[in-house]
Amino acid sequence: MKDLKHLYDLEQLLQECNNDLVKEACEKGQIAVGDVCSMIPEVLLNLPGCFSVRLRAPRTGSIEIGTYYMTSLLCEYCRALVERAVEGGYNFLDCIIAPDACAAMNRCVENMELLKTCEKEKFFVTYSDVPMKSDETALKHYVRQMRLRVLEPLHDVYGIDVSDAALLEAVEQHNKVCRLIRELGEFRKEEYPRITGYEFYIFCLATYCCPKDMLLPILEETLEEVREREPDQEKTYRIRVLLAGSEIDDLDFIKLIEDNGALIVADRHCFGSFPGRDEIKICEGEDLLTQICRHYMVTGQCPRFMNTEKVEERKDYADRLAKEYHADGIIYEQMKFCDYWGYERMAASHIMHEEYGYPVLSIDRPYVVGSSGQLRTRVQAFVESVEIKKIQGGR
Amino acid sequence: MKKYFGGCDVGSTYTKCVILDEDGNMAAHTTMKSKMNSEKSARAAMEETLAQVPGLDSPEDLAYLIGTGYGRNKVPFAQENISEISCHAMGVHMTDPKVRAIIDIGGQDIKGIAIDTDGTVKNFAMNDKCAAGTGRFYETMANAFEMSLPEFSKLSLTAKNVIPITAQCTVFAESEVITLVGEGKPMNEIAAGIQRSVAKRCFIMAKKAGATDSVTLTGGCAKNDGLKKAIEQVLKLKVVDLKTDPQLMGALGAAEYARQKGLAKGKGR
Repeated sequence: MKDLKHLYDLEQLLQECNNDLVKEACEKGQIAVGDVCSMIPEVLLNLPGCFSVRLRAPRTGSIEIGTYYMTSLLCEYCRALVERAVEGGYNFLDCIIAPDACAAMNRCVENMELLKTCEKEKFFVTYSDVPMKSDETALKHYVRQMRLRVLEPLHDVYGIDVSDAALLEAVEQHNKVCRLIRELGEFRKEEYPRITGYEFYIFCLATYCCPKDMLLPILEETLEEVREREPDQEKTYRIRVLLAGSEIDDLDFIKLIEDNGALIVADRHCFGSFPGRDEIKICEGEDLLTQICRHYMVTGQCPRFMNTEKVEERKDYADRLAKEYHADGIIYEQMKFCDYWGYERMAASHIMHEEYGYPVLSIDRPYVVGSSGQLRTRVQAFVESVEIKKIQGGR
Repeated sequence: MKKYFGGCDVGSTYTKCVILDEDGNMAAHTTMKSKMNSEKSARAAMEETLAQVPGLDSPEDLAYLIGTGYGRNKVPFAQENISEISCHAMGVHMTDPKVRAIIDIGGQDIKGIAIDTDGTVKNFAMNDKCAAGTGRFYETMANAFEMSLPEFSKLSLTAKNVIPITAQCTVFAESEVITLVGEGKPMNEIAAGIQRSVAKRCFIMAKKAGATDSVTLTGGCAKNDGLKKAIEQVLKLKVVDLKTDPQLMGALGAAEYARQKGLAKGKGR
């Protein structure tokens, strides 16, 4: 297939958290908001005058400093963020809005704050309580927290407009991004997809890490380009997989999977398009912030939600995605020492195989995969076994 | 002219090659120490294997060739590569079709593999980056004992008691062993403790893969009788001995896949 015009530039851009688009927005006086979890509604961090940057630590080497502050028993993503913060990688941030979602991330952000890793004068950090259950009581608390811990500080410290009109503007921009990403992702349903999982992932990841207004023209142009793109005449993959799991922002991990013959046709993880790029539906007659919070609470697929309905829903959600995108199998991955996914991955990999009948590869991985020979072997062996079973007529 | 098919298993420690004839009989095989460069390892091992079959002068004389092992995508003359997990399963299936579970202990990893009735992989489990319990681990331990691996294995079999080794990490285990030796503990009992600790590592992989009644060992460490005994004790499973060198299973499986694919394609090269 012909190379996509913006792919290489975005690939390079994603090598830095403080990338060129972020720098440009900061120079224009926009407020850079550090985001560390899907439980904080992204639209609230993208009100006019500010933009969110989902924190990553690309090109991480050793994480000794992060380990010193966090111990070796907490997830490597959090440790890598502390390491990068100490290195000065997040100095561009004007604030970090964190949830009390998991203890590891909490400690991560606390360390960043205590170590004064961001030097801007008005820099602040807030922590907010986010729901573990999806019901109306939790929603009320969620809404109060978002007002108190997100909107008010942004308004009080940086004068950000938090009116309904501003919220609506942010929702409209978010929905535009979602529509473009979803439409791009739809091409992965094709038998000869005109976009690979890796290419799609670069565009999707960029939407979490770059100012959205600057990214929109790139996404629009790319969508047109992909529409016109001639797919390869021969299959370039051996099996199709749904990638589900915890935080994934490592381009090499996606590349490793696809290089070994598994095309990622659907992505259900923290930086993926499911459910992160679901449009927010707004109707008249109800408080706007409540509607936004409800959207994140209802569509959220994080294993942090522990009510039975949500636990069941997560398996059906994976099943629905696998069917819709014609996946032959599922790869469940988990960042080592992730408390929530540690349990979810083990249970889901067993249930999706035994009860739903999918071939499942279950992986626990470090933050940066690099050129792990073991992981390469595991993925390739999975591809081979699924391929043989397909030939033999089973799933 | 008779057609031949090749399998080249470039492992992190040893490179193995097998050549099969059209009927699946082993015509030649080689095992040699791997070099730093996987491509050079593959070339050297293949050259030696080809020399054993009259009429075969270069890898191009083989009808089909498959690379496997850690350096599988660096075998320059292979038509394709297949993971060592699939190849070990096929190699064992060819050698003993009744075997349903494998513990493969290679130079840098341990794998538990469950085999289907047709030799394909039913399930597998594998250690991650850590080298605990692998061939590298044994090399380090044997070095600490100032012995060769066969000598180390033989020594462990003479122990009446087992001194447990608590550290799994290769580096920590080495220092633990040195401490125990320094304390004057019997060498054979320390050696048996090392075998036991590796067997426990194998237990995890075998259980994860789904081994139930018997298991076979493949990879270089399969030749370690002390380990075999420890595995039987820890897993409480019968360890099935293979008639063919267990270190060759990956290359044999690759050659068998090459034979099946080559014959299916009809013409080969």
